Amino acid sequence: MRRMFWVLFLVSVLLSFAMAKTVLIIQTHWSDFQVNGIFNKAGKLIYPGLKQYTEEYMKLHPNVEIKIREVAFNNYLQQLLVSHMARKGADIYDLYSLWAVQLVNAHILDVPPIDIVNDVKKDFVPASVGGATIRGKIWGIPSEIDDYALMYNKKLLSEAGYTNPPKTWDELVAMAPKLTKYDSKGAISQYGFAFLSGWDSAVVHPYLSLLYSLGGSMFNKNYTKCLLNSQKGVKALNEELALFKEKATNSAGNVFNFPQNTVAMMIMAPWYVSSLKRAYGDKYSEYVGIAPIPPIEKLATVSYTWFFAVDSASKHKKAAWDFLRWFALQVQPKTNTTRAGDLEVNVISVIPPNRVDLRNHQKQLADLKVFIDQLKNAIPEPNVMQGAQIKTILMNQIVAAWNNQKSAQRALDDAVAKINPILDRYYH
Amino acid sequence: MGRERRDGRQMSKNRLRENVAAYIFLSPILLFFAVFFAFAVGFSVWISFKQWNMLISPIDAPSIGFDNYSSLFSDPLFTASLFNTIVYAFTTTVAILVLSLLIAAALNNIKNAAIWRFIYFAPSITPAVAVGMIWGYLYNPSRGIVNEVLGWLGVPAHNWLTDPRYALMAIIITAVWAGMGASILIFTAGLKAIPQSYYDAAKIDGASRIKMFWAITLPLLKPTILFLLITGMIGAWQVFDLIYMMGANAPASSVQVISLYIYNTAFVNLQMGRASAAAMILFVIVLIITLFILRIFRQGGIESYE
Repeated sequence: MRRMFWVLFLVSVLLSFAMAKTVLIIQTHWSDFQVNGIFNKAGKLIYPGLKQYTEEYMKLHPNVEIKIREVAFNNYLQQLLVSHMARKGADIYDLYSLWAVQLVNAHILDVPPIDIVNDVKKDFVPASVGGATIRGKIWGIPSEIDDYALMYNKKLLSEAGYTNPPKTWDELVAMAPKLTKYDSKGAISQYGFAFLSGWDSAVVHPYLSLLYSLGGSMFNKNYTKCLLNSQKGVKALNEELALFKEKATNSAGNVFNFPQNTVAMMIMAPWYVSSLKRAYGDKYSEYVGIAPIPPIEKLATVSYTWFFAVDSASKHKKAAWDFLRWFALQVQPKTNTTRAGDLEVNVISVIPPNRVDLRNHQKQLADLKVFIDQLKNAIPEPNVMQGAQIKTILMNQIVAAWNNQKSAQRALDDAVAKINPILDRYYH
Repeated sequence: MGRERRDGRQMSKNRLRENVAAYIFLSPILLFFAVFFAFAVGFSVWISFKQWNMLISPIDAPSIGFDNYSSLFSDPLFTASLFNTIVYAFTTTVAILVLSLLIAAALNNIKNAAIWRFIYFAPSITPAVAVGMIWGYLYNPSRGIVNEVLGWLGVPAHNWLTDPRYALMAIIITAVWAGMGASILIFTAGLKAIPQSYYDAAKIDGASRIKMFWAITLPLLKPTILFLLITGMIGAWQVFDLIYMMGANAPASSVQVISLYIYNTAFVNLQMGRASAAAMILFVIVLIITLFILRIFRQGGIESYE
């Protein structure tokens, strides 16, 4: 009897291990409807969010359980580092490519299987592949690619007598003061142009777009020298400062006031389009126009990438890559699109980096047409070590110049003086 | 003699048992202190002598001696943050002390004082994030009420939260508004503890209200003032939330404070060693200020709060 009891006990323990589910944790900066899906007023699901896709996968693979860990963008890297240190990291990350440089350096990311690497090279737009490439190797599957364009308020422009957006940067600088209005207290009540601000990418990306328009570069080829205080770097910042000098903007301008029709023009990324569509509703096309960033010399814009990667400490690396294959690479026969592409287009409102999604979502991507067209002129932001620190240094100097605390030359000289020692540490 | 010895041994055993029981009861808090304070501070001190980015084990991080400390003082952003923190700490602490004392004294003998105390205390229990958001709207250059009211007085509109000349002062005003309530309550308690007979005697001697305030109220409130000065200063030196919420669009050198510098150094720059060194410097500064304040007040006859 006793023996029978122990045999049964041992068998049940072994069975419970065998039947134990593989639990995968996906960490993402998406939240709310991006994870939970979009529902109509009657509560019917119109577009699935990440959660519905994971549920679909779990139905197909009953031995896999997927949990979603939503982490706000501002805390994402910190949370990743702390949880990795505590050995409670996620299995799958949706990573901003700039963060990935140090994660790769510290061997925190798993090397993707060779079939995934080949599919990424073959199926994804070059700018996104460049974003997921660090030190010559591809480290994941691109999940979104963003670049920048000029967004303008058609009504405010037409009220000021303009039927078209500016075609060159000089035209923009000439138009912006005429689109600027002041209230009785002397504060700007309508901004001819507003700069994105508040975090490093917000300030640095539009500046880089202007730098690239001049044919300039942030670093030399092997990242041993920062080139921001070159003639082109200084000119790019001076072109921004021209708007301040012409009193068409100030540092209090807030691009998120655009739906209140108090901002005539701004340089923004495609993720803002979904917010504008919700704000304007049916009147979106009446009010919102999108055009390439008016060039100083040549059309250019900066792009940045997010990509799916797997933690090297994950106990279920194979299962994680299997899920990503199904989610981000497998083309659905009915729609001829990937599931990740559907999510990115219908819900997240970003540019899907997979060519098959770009081809077969043309109707839904109509509002992002200019952003997609400009991908051919997009230069990825450099994937450099200590990228976040370098961008913060540059942001602080640009904001100091905006506020007339420093000239453009001095601001960029100070930025280079702080950035070069960082490059020395990692690239010499 | 034998009985005395037995009694003596019995008393030592009882004393030992009492001590053991006391330590058993204290052990949870001692454990909490050991893990969350002693270990945390010790780890931070150890890390401050290393170059650690959280991506590798701290044991494998290279030791760099005092480099983290010396490099801080050659960083203009660190010195600017230190300066901003000094301005913030002293201004908010003194302003809160003075204003809350005056308000508490004014509310001491009026009708419906409870309602007024609630009005002044409500901001203290409002989350800092909400305070930051509300004041962000109030300071809005074109639609905020601050510029609107100043406009009635002929003052032109300013960009309070982005202009480097005004951003820190604007945040200080918000901090004083949010921090007065708790100090008013504590001062009220201190005022209520002063015997009325002192004031009655002073009145008989012909003392004016101002004279009574200087000669009776202030000296007897010294322990309360000392408490609020020390706790206010410690809190002000560690300010983070309001600056984080309200200072994002101002130039970093004009608003950044030490705690935000530490946060950015650790979690944006991934320089945990340097951040720990900055935290140690903050700790030493706050300790020096606290000891200084205690010494000044002790010379004034305050023996409590030792």
